[in-house]
Amino acid sequence: MPPSLNNDYPSSPDEALVGWAQKGDTEAFEELIFRHRDKIYARAMMMMRNEDEALDLSQEAWVKAWQRLHQFQGDSSFATWMTRIVINLCLDQIRRQKKMRAESIEQIEEEAGGVERQMPVEHVNPTEGLEKEELRIRIDEAMAKLTEAHRTVLVLHEFQGLEYKEIAKKVGISIGTVMSRLFYARRRMASLLQGLKRERKA
Amino acid sequence: MDEKKSLEQSLELMAHLDGVESAGRRKAVEAWLAADPAAVALRDELSWVRQAVRSHEPLGQVPDSREFYWSQIRRRIEQADAVTAAAARPSRSRFADWMAWLVPVTGVAAVTLLATLHPWQSGSATSGVTEASAMTYTSETDGVTIHWID
Repeated sequence: MPPSLNNDYPSSPDEALVGWAQKGDTEAFEELIFRHRDKIYARAMMMMRNEDEALDLSQEAWVKAWQRLHQFQGDSSFATWMTRIVINLCLDQIRRQKKMRAESIEQIEEEAGGVERQMPVEHVNPTEGLEKEELRIRIDEAMAKLTEAHRTVLVLHEFQGLEYKEIAKKVGISIGTVMSRLFYARRRMASLLQGLKRERKA
Repeated sequence: MDEKKSLEQSLELMAHLDGVESAGRRKAVEAWLAADPAAVALRDELSWVRQAVRSHEPLGQVPDSREFYWSQIRRRIEQADAVTAAAARPSRSRFADWMAWLVPVTGVAAVTLLATLHPWQSGSATSGVTEASAMTYTSETDGVTIHWID
């Protein structure tokens, strides 16, 4: 379908762009991609920790979005709808990868909280007084050091805003496992952030 | 306290922090917090981590230009459309597949059957080749005559 010639894409809200895109206007869809591509890519990057995979999955998410655009009813924001699509693609990819490789003993132990059980509680908040951007970078670095299982649950809970039971259903694990993974992920993050602060001081 | 019970209690504390603990357990968690400074320290740690992570979501930037990124997506959309169109194209039905080999087989079978049931007339070929023998099959109902020359 030809683009709507009179549409002012850059100054139009998402809702209008979605409406035009649903009628086949690819220029409106391109504008939506331009607006949200970094967020979608970042979410994929957080899950996969691999630039090539994140780029590929983010593009795949946009293709899926185009194909399913007629299903978007506006119950959530377009950005939220898009992050759901990319997260689902990432989870599918992680499942495929898991089937292909046997998990190492260390990873299984860590998922069970082997290391985190021994960690002392961090009484001082190491994030206090840090610049927002610096803290953002530190959190990204710390998340990169989590196991895939811990990171997945943390991302789904903290950034996607999913409840324990929603995560359990999406990932295919029990609520108890979701809770223990989230608990150990947070404990490990506390330790890693404390360690990064010590490194910075040194 | 054994390790398992300690973990269960810690998970209840986390659920309390996230506001999803059962009403029945809320009082138990609050009693634990009131009696044990270690519980308070753990809750505080979980709390600042949660706050720090939630409010500082790592950012990312697509490494490609707008035009290149869009061109890649457009190409993938076109490929997907082509696959969908090919799948939707009407293909030869299973009935047509059956008919494709059934018709010639049936034809051969019919000819064989007719040859078996109808009388054959033997005679000499009229082509002038005296050594050759010939067979003629005639069906009056079909109005067909076949000359077979060996």
